[in-house]
Amino acid sequence: MSDRVTPKPLPPHHLPPLKQIGKPLRRVDALGKAVGATQYAADFSMPNMLYAKVFRSPVPSARIVRLDVSKARALPGVACVLTGADLPNAKLATDMPGQTGRSARKGSDAPVLATDVVRFHGEPIALIAAESLEVAEAALQFIDFKYEALPGVFCPEEALKPDSPRVYGESADPDAGAGDHNVIARWKIRKGDVEKGMAQADLVVENTYRVPFVEHAYLEPDAGVGWLDEQGVINLRICTQVVEHFRTVAKALGIPQNRVRVQGTMVGGGFGSKEDVTVEIFLALLARATGRPVKLVYTREEAFLATSKRHPFTITHRTGVKRTGRITASEVKMVADSGAYPYLTPYVLLYATGMATGPYKIDNVRVDSVAAATNQPFTSAFRGFGGPQAAFAYESQMDEIARALIMDPLAFRRINYLKTGETTATGQTIRSAAWSEECATRAVAALGDRTPSSPTRKIGRGFASYFQSYGRITWFHDTSRAWVGMEMDGTVVVRCGVPDIGAGQSNSLCQIAAEVLGVSLERVSIYATDSALTPLAGTSTATRQLYMSGNAVLQAAGVVRASLVKKAAEMLGVSPEEVDLADGKASVVHGPRSVATRPSSLSSSLEEDDRTASASSGRQGEPGARIPLAEVAAKCASEGLPLAHLAQFNAPFTEGIDPETGQGDIWPDFTFGAHAVEVAVDVETGEIEVLKSVACHDVGRAINSAAVRGQIAGGSHQGLGYALMEEYVVEKGMTKTPSLAEYLIPTSCDFPATDVIVLESGTGVGPFGAKGIGEPSLTPAAPAVANAVADALGARIFSLPFTPEKVLAAADAGKDVVRPDPNW
Amino acid sequence: MQPFSLGDALKILSEVKDAEPIAGGTNLMVDMRAGTHRPRVVVDVAALRDLHGIEVTDTEVIIGAATTIAEMLASPILAKHAPVLVSACSSFANPLIRNRATVGGNLVTAAPCSDTAPALLTLDAEVKLASVRGMRRVPLEKFLVSAFSTIRRSDELLVSVRFRIPSATATSAFRKMGLRKVSCMAKVDVAVMLDGDATGRCTSARIAIAAASPAAVRARAAEAALVGKMLIPEAIAAAASLTAKAATPRAGSEYKLRVVEALARRLLAEAALAIERGGSNA
Amino acid sequence: MPKKKTVLRVNGRQHELALDPNVSLLQALRDLGYTDVKNGCEIGECGACAVLLNGAAVNSCMVLAWQANGAEIVTNAGLGTLDRPHPIQEAFADAGAVQCGYCTPGMVISTKALLDRNPNPSEAEIREALSGNLCRCTGYAQIIEAVGVAARSLREAGEASRMGQRATDGSRSPSNSPGADQGVRRGGERR
Repeated sequence: MSDRVTPKPLPPHHLPPLKQIGKPLRRVDALGKAVGATQYAADFSMPNMLYAKVFRSPVPSARIVRLDVSKARALPGVACVLTGADLPNAKLATDMPGQTGRSARKGSDAPVLATDVVRFHGEPIALIAAESLEVAEAALQFIDFKYEALPGVFCPEEALKPDSPRVYGESADPDAGAGDHNVIARWKIRKGDVEKGMAQADLVVENTYRVPFVEHAYLEPDAGVGWLDEQGVINLRICTQVVEHFRTVAKALGIPQNRVRVQGTMVGGGFGSKEDVTVEIFLALLARATGRPVKLVYTREEAFLATSKRHPFTITHRTGVKRTGRITASEVKMVADSGAYPYLTPYVLLYATGMATGPYKIDNVRVDSVAAATNQPFTSAFRGFGGPQAAFAYESQMDEIARALIMDPLAFRRINYLKTGETTATGQTIRSAAWSEECATRAVAALGDRTPSSPTRKIGRGFASYFQSYGRITWFHDTSRAWVGMEMDGTVVVRCGVPDIGAGQSNSLCQIAAEVLGVSLERVSIYATDSALTPLAGTSTATRQLYMSGNAVLQAAGVVRASLVKKAAEMLGVSPEEVDLADGKASVVHGPRSVATRPSSLSSSLEEDDRTASASSGRQGEPGARIPLAEVAAKCASEGLPLAHLAQFNAPFTEGIDPETGQGDIWPDFTFGAHAVEVAVDVETGEIEVLKSVACHDVGRAINSAAVRGQIAGGSHQGLGYALMEEYVVEKGMTKTPSLAEYLIPTSCDFPATDVIVLESGTGVGPFGAKGIGEPSLTPAAPAVANAVADALGARIFSLPFTPEKVLAAADAGKDVVRPDPNW
Repeated sequence: MQPFSLGDALKILSEVKDAEPIAGGTNLMVDMRAGTHRPRVVVDVAALRDLHGIEVTDTEVIIGAATTIAEMLASPILAKHAPVLVSACSSFANPLIRNRATVGGNLVTAAPCSDTAPALLTLDAEVKLASVRGMRRVPLEKFLVSAFSTIRRSDELLVSVRFRIPSATATSAFRKMGLRKVSCMAKVDVAVMLDGDATGRCTSARIAIAAASPAAVRARAAEAALVGKMLIPEAIAAAASLTAKAATPRAGSEYKLRVVEALARRLLAEAALAIERGGSNA
Repeated sequence: MPKKKTVLRVNGRQHELALDPNVSLLQALRDLGYTDVKNGCEIGECGACAVLLNGAAVNSCMVLAWQANGAEIVTNAGLGTLDRPHPIQEAFADAGAVQCGYCTPGMVISTKALLDRNPNPSEAEIREALSGNLCRCTGYAQIIEAVGVAARSLREAGEASRMGQRATDGSRSPSNSPGADQGVRRGGERR
């Protein structure tokens, strides 16, 4: 970058010294996993257990002409075969996991088992439960399945044409307008006056960007065991991001919600794929039908076919800009592939729409987005949820504009970055720190000296800014609950329904409880992820758990703390303000207590406690006097004072955005950051090598610094993979990359370690001012690569991933481009 | 079935219907699981002593078919006499696979993207096949027919692969290009071996490619164009261009021609430079 | 298909089995209860199923169980336990190298194989040794760090035990030696 700007000093922290928060403590789940003791979903077995297999469609669009399972049923060792005919009402309401149960679109619900037609390659058609896996696999061959291929639609642009085949048949949405019969969702943003803004512009830049299907490729294939317990309650021990799917299961089986229990295991990676219902309903149906425990474990190839993908998008940006660099208007069109069933498409589309113009202040915005059904793999949540797709487009576009203006990319962005207090394209005010400039500056600076190019190995540098929401859509009225209690020996128990999908969700809650209650992390146990026994904490999705359950734990622990402090103050003969909890003891200190930043609802209750306490005891105790917490707890218990508390944390509740203008608040808050890379492009072989990678994010507050660095490193890797090697190839609805041999994800040798720079503004709405980092860490990585490759070649590749063919074509195109001497 | 001796193994292969040898299993296990290939009987040849070991005589190097890729990587004999083969082995899959995969398995499977085949082709390697009817030796170039197709008869066992020790002045180079740095199927493999006299004139040229045609092949025309010429950039460029002509990528993969040409040019230049420096890295 | 008599020696225990000849070592181990050996792909692409087979790290999904007859098999759980974790496992837990943990057993096995033959590996050698173990969560950086820490730890322990041996003649007690204490570090700060 041409002008090196000194990053602005960070605002002063107002927190008292934190003992547990921010430290890279060994996570509570780490050792069990490291020694192989942790039992994942497929590691569990029960006596008298059956093994299940799913019979799936070999074709993407067909009418089922014949489905005869009698021979399979008759096979010795087969206990049960179920088809759609056995489940007349079983539909999977695929949108809205968990709490809010909005009703689905007409006719587009996924059947649990296909009956008349199949709409995607791999759609489930029948379930088998048998005495052994071998018998179940053999029984698959005995299912007599005949189909008649139906015309399918294999890209959303086709699906939007008036004469395209109807993915959901004639009955679905008969009132839909021409070309709308396959539309799953539309969103729009109308802010200001785009025509006027374009007229004001000195230059209008228009480009179209494309991103493909991408597979989550978590290491643990979907799996679980289901059984009926002694009360006839269906128990499901499964890997999931959503414990609340017990409601969906109950609905599909036509039984009361309190007759299904989900026990979530430690998840071996989810990234959004395990947010959908996967094995739950199959297990419940087979357990109910056979009365025996049933185990279902997907093969890797099956996991590829059976589960969701990231939405392909085609995004067209048309941006008006003044010579000074000020963006005057932005018009964005987005078309997304919803695949065979909606799942979370409407909301992924909303996220992409709401973040379509990036972290920039633009007064005149028009966005039109549409998602259409096709006979392709169904698409749903994948880390970023529309954000990564939007960012690839808007950040590529920002660099294209900078290039057209012959302006330094960072200088151009500086003129346009959204600042705290300003509003997004949907008119939502940014209330927390918006450190786009700081992050981009630091990320770029950390690239260091530029590697020299050679004629065949061209070096390029690029960066991307981004913003990504954390916390769920606010009109979903999101809540989370946690219970915190102290045992008689001063140890602490946390009970919370939170699913731990590997990012340290459960550990963070322990670390927060440890901080608030003044104990070491080793003294905290957590019992989690059981819909029957732990308070429901909502989904591990949308980068919401630290925010929601973290705040719930903060509240609950805060109440327990207040109880302890009040009693300890009495025992020490001081006022509660002079008591601190630390190192497992209550002690007398002078000066402000070591209490964390907390939500205002908690503050007021603590202040009330303070007033009561100081009224009752005025004596000054010995400074340095301390009582072990176990003693304080014992005293509380003997006097019937609370040592445990169940807290519910509510996210802000808003109404939906205006359907015509898209104006309104969508999310609780945003994370801002940047990613910068240096690449070497071999213009003869088309290979791209990442030489340096730097990520700089404002995480608000790092609860466990090792976990935060791990999330940023991992998210960066997924983003680099998105840019350079990941494409789930589908041809006419058929999957062409069926396993990890064809679908490539990064190995230990592919990329250098990402240099991780963590900034902490303390301005997030999570506990201790935390924001969220799980999804944000991925969002800017692919666009950073895109900009670096364009810098290297002098020509841009407008679609991901950057295959050798595309690189060679761009290298040819850029051969004669005269580029200004790079000096950054 | 786990025969104790080569003779027993050959007897099984000739008498038992639908019997297939298994050594490392890294291809067969995948096929069996996929159902694309399910031999009724599997004959474990991994432990047969006759199929193990890397030997060197005065004139040639002999590698037992059941030698693992990891063993080849660690072999001082190959390090000395066949660095091109060692280089190919180092880009073969990943360490876990290399501990099981064998050179015999790799050749018999004859995947278009085989990494060992192009290196062995530049060494003018020969394979030895055994059956109850006796032994026969076949040049590797003839052995590899097409994608997943060799001239091995169903009752034959690949016993060893051998090559003459290259001249002391020969140099070589190998490069695999894939969509990921490691552990993936090659998109293009190129191997070269050159020899030259004191003036820098090429006396021998062997160029082999894989993954850009149904079977690994020698680029004979490119080789002929180099022999007798001075190893200067123009000659190398011409040979590289002819190497690309030996490639027959599938429709839609035409970009591979450019990659073959580029890699051939670089590898020939690298090998030529090594000759110029008087070093031998063959 | 007639079952094959197979003896599997796993983590020091001997199992006498009659197995279907098609059963992979991965399936056999998991059926025996060694569920620390994970199934990630079953085609040798992900390394989650890695075990030591006579000291060599291999994908157990690529080995027929009967091919491992009589061999020494070591799984991740055989290297250490919650009470007495192996230094490699400790290093992983402390370095933030364990997120979802599903790749971890395979990573530890590949690490053990590496450090057994190369006690002082460079970063490039570590990356190479782990190149058959896919991880989707960590981006590998903290794993590579953990391997370096484990290598150092093991070297120091090796030093200490060598010094301890010399000390049997002298007056120096082994517990004074640096690195001799491999006790579990819980919840403490990372170096």
